[in-house]
Amino acid sequence: MIKKLCLVILLSCNFLFADSLYEFTNLENEKRFYNLIKEIRCPKCTSGSLASSNAPVSEDIKLKIVELIKEGKSDSEIKKYIVNRFGNEVLYDPGFDKGTYFLWIAPISILLLALTTFFFRRKI
Amino acid sequence: MKFILRMFVIILPIALISFFYLYINDDDYYPGADYRNYNLPQFELNELYSQSPISNKDIQGTYLINVWASWCITCRVEHGFLVKLSNKNIPIMGINYKDDRDDAINWINKFGDPYKLIIHDFKGSLALDMGVTGAPETFLVSNGEVLVHYRGEVNTMIWQDVFTPVINKYELFK
Repeated sequence: MIKKLCLVILLSCNFLFADSLYEFTNLENEKRFYNLIKEIRCPKCTSGSLASSNAPVSEDIKLKIVELIKEGKSDSEIKKYIVNRFGNEVLYDPGFDKGTYFLWIAPISILLLALTTFFFRRKI
Repeated sequence: MKFILRMFVIILPIALISFFYLYINDDDYYPGADYRNYNLPQFELNELYSQSPISNKDIQGTYLINVWASWCITCRVEHGFLVKLSNKNIPIMGINYKDDRDDAINWINKFGDPYKLIIHDFKGSLALDMGVTGAPETFLVSNGEVLVHYRGEVNTMIWQDVFTPVINKYELFK
């Protein structure tokens, strides 16, 4: 009898813990959430996304993202919310602005420069 | 043509070195410090001792906001300096971050209270809204606008390097 009871409890444990941590109204929102936490860096970590981190602040941000998705905010609005608080460094894909233009332009311009120099030299 | 190319070999390294020299010596950058100005977020929380509601209108003027918790070891290190600041008549508001109320009160009774008032932010909602990543963090706020946000322990050196220039610029605490 006791053995059977234990077995029932053991088997039902799976269902008891099968509840998901973050709740979404539809699959689309859930996909958006998992994409967002891969694109945003955990502000407490040297380099790790929110998805990879369980630091208290990452947990808070993740819950906040869930809340913002529920409120119907778009991805860019959510990113803006987090950048306003934690700075540009939290985005893995920084936009093109006066702080980052050099990073975007330098590799291409150096390559072009190298190529033109290379072809120039041959003609001389 | 050859002359131009040869000059280029000299100019390019000089340009790169000077660029990085200027980049590294950028005065606006200080590790842990954030000088972006923004408005203090709206909040409605409770005071730690009296547990009476507290919101933006209860804290006016120029003051520091210090985020601390009894579980935070660096806050203990920082505490002595905050007491010194409060003795110099610099108002400090505390945000008790994700802390048990009894633990927080015990901590204050043990080590002294440099705070004008302490906001009990048990869930860390206000702290998240202010961009707090952990404790301790310190903000310089004037008339509802955040002027400096420093992540980490504030000591004499940080006070001199990060906070004093801004205080002098805006002529605060006078």
